[in-house]
Amino acid sequence: MRLNIRVVAFCVALLTNQGATAADLPQRWVSAGGAISEWVSALGGESKLVGVDTTSQHPQSLRALPSIGYQRQLSAEGVLSLRPQILVGTEEMGPPPVLSQIRSAGVQVELFSATPDLLTLQGNLRHLGQLLGAEAEAAQLFDRYQKQLAEQNARVTEAQRKQKAPGVLLLVGSSGGKSLVAGKGTAADWLLQQAGGHNLATHSGYKPFSVETLASLNPEVLVFADRALSGEEARAALFKENPILSSTRAATAGRVIELDPTLLVGGLGPRLPQSLAQLTAGFYPTPSAKAP
Amino acid sequence: MTRLVKPRSLFIGLSVLCLLAIWLSLALGPVSLPLFDTLRAASRLLGLPVAADGLEQAELILGQIRLPRTLLGLAVGGVLALSGVAMQGLFRNPLADPGLVGVSAGAALGAAFAIVGGSALGGLPEAFGPYVLSLCAFLGGLGVAALVYRLGRRNGQTHVATMLLAGIALTALSGSAVGLLTYLADDATLRTLTFWNLGSLNGASYARLWPLLLVSAGVALWLPRRGRALNALLLGESEAAHLGIDVEGLKRELVLCTALGVGAAVAAAGMIGFVGLVVPHLVRLVAGPDHRVLLPASVLAGASLLLFADLVARLAMAPAELPIGIITAFIGAPFFLYLLLRGRA
Repeated sequence: MRLNIRVVAFCVALLTNQGATAADLPQRWVSAGGAISEWVSALGGESKLVGVDTTSQHPQSLRALPSIGYQRQLSAEGVLSLRPQILVGTEEMGPPPVLSQIRSAGVQVELFSATPDLLTLQGNLRHLGQLLGAEAEAAQLFDRYQKQLAEQNARVTEAQRKQKAPGVLLLVGSSGGKSLVAGKGTAADWLLQQAGGHNLATHSGYKPFSVETLASLNPEVLVFADRALSGEEARAALFKENPILSSTRAATAGRVIELDPTLLVGGLGPRLPQSLAQLTAGFYPTPSAKAP
Repeated sequence: MTRLVKPRSLFIGLSVLCLLAIWLSLALGPVSLPLFDTLRAASRLLGLPVAADGLEQAELILGQIRLPRTLLGLAVGGVLALSGVAMQGLFRNPLADPGLVGVSAGAALGAAFAIVGGSALGGLPEAFGPYVLSLCAFLGGLGVAALVYRLGRRNGQTHVATMLLAGIALTALSGSAVGLLTYLADDATLRTLTFWNLGSLNGASYARLWPLLLVSAGVALWLPRRGRALNALLLGESEAAHLGIDVEGLKRELVLCTALGVGAAVAAAGMIGFVGLVVPHLVRLVAGPDHRVLLPASVLAGASLLLFADLVARLAMAPAELPIGIITAFIGAPFFLYLLLRGRA
């Protein structure tokens, strides 16, 4: 019994202690990096944000905040002019001399890893949760995320037992033109794998493609991410700029899927499981949907 | 070409302009500081005994952010404009700019090599990555300039025309090498490379500033002494030699000073175009072609232009920042056109 009382006392102490630190938590946040800003918002920290970088486009409301420019090219005085207490971002944030200037002005600078794996995400979310005073929410969010990804994996395994993984190419472009094909070692490649697609591109990085290569690879599914247009407009622009695509198996079967290009930068974001599910649905059509 | 103002009033005007640029560069920024705080912090930085209460932020912003940035702008702007005069004098060609002897292209190659190669080797250590980048850019610039100079030499003589063509060839060669490295670069590296090519005074720190300040002070003190020799060179090489000028020595000095100065400037601030080409023309339009005036006046004018451009860079999109290379051309080109058209009327 005495032990129990001690435990209760300890818990109470812990709680009150937390209450005391909550007031010390940073209240004015600047966030750089799309995925990080999304997580901050998902953890209820959106009202604390006073500025974001140009890659933070989701949720839409972030676009109304003052922009600190591109995450790799921050300006020390620009960030300081927002009077933040904390600057969060991925390791891509920089340049390093600017970060040390910001640090020396007494602003807490927190760097998060952008590696796309669950362990990293768990660490990141826990850390963000502590900084926002939302540890329970962070743990909950991570559990749900993990469950969603596990479901996603199960869905892919299930589908692959019935159908062969389709050959896919992922094109990243702007208004249909200047498309680059996503090769090995890119976030896009990882995304395709997670969704159960087989990336036909064998080069590394994002590279321009030759028309002949594209015709010879003849993908079953095309995924495109357009930075300027979206929806039907983007699809039409893609085929107008690259007429060769119309002759691929993907085009004749109408299996051309759109992907939000913001998913390709900054590590695992909250919208990922949903997009993966959409991609998988496109990769492995159910028999009823397949019928004309 | 006639001059519009006397050298004396030109120097007074340019000095006032430069001091104004320095003051504005220290006083204005995205963080708005009360004028009185700026003054007090500035006097503290000068070592005057002023009470420090409530000045921590002003002192930090002035001392650690704006002052190094201002010094960087002064050095880079001055040295680029000065090298522009030297190259236009050496090649007796108004289209010559400091890039002509391959310094800029070589520096870009060095930087691309450091950025792409560094990331291929698993990333440079955070702490001295920027130093390696600056050093590679500097060495690349010097190396290519030395090669251009060497190619221009035959039988103990430097052929300026050969050097010019060699410069064009090596610039193209370095350009395609940079292109190849760009192709090999991954996404993140590519962005670093792009921004480096646009140039910026952002993130200036004293540690990276000292080498540039030393080099540019040396060049800015040395080159103006060659005003008379450059004037003689305008008449032609043999004429200058008959006037008692050591033409070979002069060419060597001009190339060396340009390579050192521009190499150091590009290494510290990235590629900043336009200043080296147009500032000498601006000054020439106002003050006439006498190099004894042109050389020192270009230092002041180049430094002022770059500081004003940097002010726009940091204020126009605040809290974000524009690359300065965009703005130098944006401010300078219309002004240049105005002077040209007015001269014609």
